[in-house]
Amino acid sequence: MIHRQKSAMPGFGLSMGITLTMLSVIVILPIAMLIARGIAWGPAEVWNIVSSQRVLNALFLSFKLSFFAALFNLVFGVALAWVLARYPFPGRRFIDACVDLPFALPTAVAGIALTALYAPNGVFGSLFPFRIAYTQIGIFIALVFVGLPFVVRTVQPVIAEIEKEVEEASATLGATRLYTLRRVILPMLTPAALTGFALSLARSVGEYGSVIFIAGNIPNLTEIAPLLIVIRLEEFNYDAAAAIGIAMLLISFAMLLVINLIQMWSRRHV
Amino acid sequence: MSDVTTFRAPTEEAPIVRRILIGVVVALLAVLVLAPLFVVFAEALSRGVGEAVKSLGSRDALAAIRLTLTVAAFAVPLNAIFGLAAAWAITKFDFRGKAFLITLIDLPFSVSPVVAGLCLVLLLGTNSTLGGLLVANGYPIIFALPGIVLATVFVTFPFIARELIPVMIEQGKAEEEAALTLGASGWRVFRTVTLPNIRWALLYGVLLCNARAMGEFGAVAVVSGKIRGETATMPITIEMMYNEYLSVAAFSLAAVLALLALLTLALKTLLEWRHADALAATGGH
Repeated sequence: MIHRQKSAMPGFGLSMGITLTMLSVIVILPIAMLIARGIAWGPAEVWNIVSSQRVLNALFLSFKLSFFAALFNLVFGVALAWVLARYPFPGRRFIDACVDLPFALPTAVAGIALTALYAPNGVFGSLFPFRIAYTQIGIFIALVFVGLPFVVRTVQPVIAEIEKEVEEASATLGATRLYTLRRVILPMLTPAALTGFALSLARSVGEYGSVIFIAGNIPNLTEIAPLLIVIRLEEFNYDAAAAIGIAMLLISFAMLLVINLIQMWSRRHV
Repeated sequence: MSDVTTFRAPTEEAPIVRRILIGVVVALLAVLVLAPLFVVFAEALSRGVGEAVKSLGSRDALAAIRLTLTVAAFAVPLNAIFGLAAAWAITKFDFRGKAFLITLIDLPFSVSPVVAGLCLVLLLGTNSTLGGLLVANGYPIIFALPGIVLATVFVTFPFIARELIPVMIEQGKAEEEAALTLGASGWRVFRTVTLPNIRWALLYGVLLCNARAMGEFGAVAVVSGKIRGETATMPITIEMMYNEYLSVAAFSLAAVLALLALLTLALKTLLEWRHADALAATGGH
């Protein structure tokens, strides 16, 4: 990595030294520690710990609800990005700033706020004949909240860069507006939208703070995987916590790979 | 020719479609994002301003605020140093493995905060070789301030670097090279040429990093041990108060963090508005 071409610029040793030292100590070493544990155990032993019904249910629940939340954010995010990029309306700048609120608001704050809203006696919760807080619907809502900005912020700049001529050409060739949107605009947005979807999914799978308050945390029903890690750690059962952590790390790496593949694919097709 | 008034460019949607779409999108955003924000303040003030202010003056709340400020005071400068060093190394030099290095810097974004905390506990907890050695010599990391700072730096790791790298790539290195040719030292070039060029991007990154540092919950929950008055940051204290049914106290502390989030967003929007050309074009995170 340190092979470099000759440059007159000073400070390579110092800046690279700080970069690699901090990266190694703070990020790589701790993650490597977890992976090393997994390798020392071997896949069979990790699977042995992970494959208890409660752990599998938690992992499946985290993934399933994250997928649905990311799907909702995909549709809503593309619509929101379109409105923000194309339609001038009073208060647009304010709405645009609001999109980033889930990034800025601490997850624990979001968690207790959503619970207060959707609890059976809450402002929104009391409107529904069925329970939302302490069920999987509540977890879904919390995951929609945390994942909301991703699709908007990946798609919005792409919409802003679309040349008007493309739409004009399509219109002069006789396409209806809907046809143009479907066959011309949508394909241009697809790579960015998929990237946003994957980012939203990745964030949701690992989400903890905004979910645990509204989830109810009933084992096998509304217990997410990160919470199970915390429970195992509080029991000082480090092995079980580590095994679930390894499973989640593998899911994270797989999704990172997917995001990179989408981006490679989109570069080839643009 | 009354049609002229209702003429619509073929590259736009019908006004009615626009209005419906704007209405739906704004309504959904209000329900999903604005309502939770409002409820924080409504719950905090549900028994009057006096009660909210009084609960913020409690010993636990004050200790939490002090700890959170301390953690941010360590974590944000550490990340700024890292961000500046990484951006300098990546944008001013050509070397093999650069793309891989950038992927590694982004890695903490893909790791669950709880897993990040778990990794630190496995590496530095009392059960580990390294952690046991440190505790034996009187330097506990986990369940103490250093662990909280490490966890916070971990989850905010890419924030500042990510903001600086695209801006510094765009600016190139011609100005620095000119200064060097004129005989300026490396430090002087960095201080008088590079730093002024990237100050808005740096501020932008610091803002986002600070907001996340003060609000981090999952990673800190794992490494802090949640010792009341000692290792309970603001988000952790909010959780403890909420679980003890101290609703006003929990939401008052949450309102302080929500105000911080609003301030961060306002400053961020202002920066994007006034200095758009000096920031990275990419949104998100």
